[in-house]
Amino acid sequence: MSKKIGDVILDLQNISLRFGGVKALTDISFNVKQHEIRAIIGPNGAGKSSMLNVINGVYHPQEGKIFWHGNERKKMEPHMAAQQNIARTFQNIALFKGMSVLDNIMTGRITKMKANFIEHALWFGRARKEELEHRKKVEEVIDFLEIQHIRKTPVGRLPYGLQKRVELGRALAAEPSMLLLDEPMAGMNVEEKQDMCRFILDVNDQFGTTIVLIEHDMGVVMDISDRVVVLDYGKKIGDGVPDEVKNNEDVIKAYLGAGH
Amino acid sequence: MLYREAGQFKTTYAADQQLFPIRQDRIGVLVLLAVAFFGVPLLASEYWFSAILIPFLIFALAALGLNILTGYAGQLSLGSAAFMAVGAYAAYNFQLRVEGIPLLVSFICAGLTAAGVGILFGLPSLRIKGFYLAVATLAAQFFIVWCLTKFPWLSNNSSSGVISTQKLIIFGHELNTPVEKYLLVLSIVVFMALAAKNMVRSTTGRAWMAVRDMDVAASVIGIRLMPTKLLAFAISSFYCGVAGALYAFCYLGSVEPDGFSLEMSFKILFMIIIGGVGSIMGSFLGAAFILLLPIFLDVALPFFAELFGLPFSSATVSHIQITVFGALIMFFLIVEPHGLARLWQIAKEKLRLWPFPH
Ligand SMILES: Nc1ncnc2c1ncn2[C@@H]1O[C@H](COP(=O)(O)OP(=O)(O)OP(=O)(O)O)[C@@H](O)[C@H]1O
Ligand SMILES: [Mg+2]
Repeated sequence: MSKKIGDVILDLQNISLRFGGVKALTDISFNVKQHEIRAIIGPNGAGKSSMLNVINGVYHPQEGKIFWHGNERKKMEPHMAAQQNIARTFQNIALFKGMSVLDNIMTGRITKMKANFIEHALWFGRARKEELEHRKKVEEVIDFLEIQHIRKTPVGRLPYGLQKRVELGRALAAEPSMLLLDEPMAGMNVEEKQDMCRFILDVNDQFGTTIVLIEHDMGVVMDISDRVVVLDYGKKIGDGVPDEVKNNEDVIKAYLGAGH
Repeated sequence: MLYREAGQFKTTYAADQQLFPIRQDRIGVLVLLAVAFFGVPLLASEYWFSAILIPFLIFALAALGLNILTGYAGQLSLGSAAFMAVGAYAAYNFQLRVEGIPLLVSFICAGLTAAGVGILFGLPSLRIKGFYLAVATLAAQFFIVWCLTKFPWLSNNSSSGVISTQKLIIFGHELNTPVEKYLLVLSIVVFMALAAKNMVRSTTGRAWMAVRDMDVAASVIGIRLMPTKLLAFAISSFYCGVAGALYAFCYLGSVEPDGFSLEMSFKILFMIIIGGVGSIMGSFLGAAFILLLPIFLDVALPFFAELFGLPFSSATVSHIQITVFGALIMFFLIVEPHGLARLWQIAKEKLRLWPFPH
């Protein structure tokens, strides 16, 4: 791959997160560099999803500092992540079930649309123009993900693999600079996984999007990621390029211990 | 193959994003509007206007208001009638206390007042959901009706809060006949229904539905839950408020606070359940169904009773009405939660394939 990995854009320092007595994350530090694909792996319950939730402001760690493009991030609400161009997908598909594929993906662009409800109600001013402009962008995403044939289908009626793809589409529609993917290939067959890998690599390649990825399939992780963080019981036990991590003894132990 | 979009290729996104993208729907709506504005006034009797058509339109508007809140934004409310009461009393007071205010302006002000009250009672929705929120809106229902009875100023010191509405003067012309009132109500309802349709097909509506379907994902996308929910409460109450003003001014002429009862709120809720939660057209279908069913049963039951020689008293008739109502609501909740609007949709999908089965 010929891409250039840039500077550190997200730096997490000594993050600890507790839910009552449960320590989900303990003293974790790692960073993400521009344009890289950064994987987070670890056994079930290791704290991977919690880590993503900390990054985009859904969870608030009790300790630790987060630097975004060099500036310390203070108290953060989920909707602010979108303003900072961070988009994500969820481990359990979180699509808007009652809406069509097209509307779901259109919703991904919501922060970029400025018309207010009066303009919408009367269909004047920015309302009409925006709807057209953004539809064009959304159609690009639809073409990119090869889901033209289902654009008017309610997402609830789609098979699991396609729903995952639509959710990626909704995230991509925001044209994020950083994309957080929580197990984007879980429950997919080989062919669907290959498609998803291709999309992730293409996004990273063509748009230069930085990607933070949680994935259980080691083959995939070692193949596509630039650097890997390994968590176990909320602690970081490994961090580095795939080859390093593969040969890290703690990592091997954690995975054998967890029965992998 | 009468109802098909085959051959109607959309070459631009604009064409695909029309209010009614399928030509037959467009024609259907235009015909319906033409009939409503020009056909009905020629044909319908005075009874039809004042006992059926006007209340139908007004309740459809209230149901539409509730549907925006419950069907689109996913916030259950049991206070629709109370917001109608706010609209009715606000319109009355604006007419009474603001010198020379045009009627339509006081209707708008009534809607805005209801919207303000709606926002106030929508605040709990930022913390609580579903059943508990419904209970909070129940508080609105009782509190508002209590206020209107308790503070004589609101009803200009009339006994037990009864108000008689002022004259209906639109652009210097006084509306006296049922037809004129019908046309006024129809114009307002059609305008507001189109506005609602526009809202729900654009960003405003998508934000509501996103919050309804998955609020965590919505906020991660950048939708702010508080303004989105409160806007739904405001607009929903605005619609109910205007419906309330029309209810007082164009339908009854004189109303009392207790008329806007919990029972009425439930009636509006049943309209959207039967008509279709999350559907503009469903609000109209539901209102028609709920208002016409009792009239139909009133006529049909004695007829059948006579036919089979059964001794039906009027009490039995009203019992049967309640039973049929309950049964229908259970049917729709269990079998077809998207109501009549969904059944209509299915019929259209069938029609699209007809006469070929596949
Ligand atoms: N909202 C929450 N409330 C309470 N505990 C939580 C919450 N979210 C996560 N946890 C706990 O934090 C720990 C880490 O959970 P997390 O979902 O981050 O793990 P994970 O690595 O993503 O696991 P999996 O591979 O199963 O998805 C678990 O013990 C979990 O029970
Ligand atoms: Mg997880």
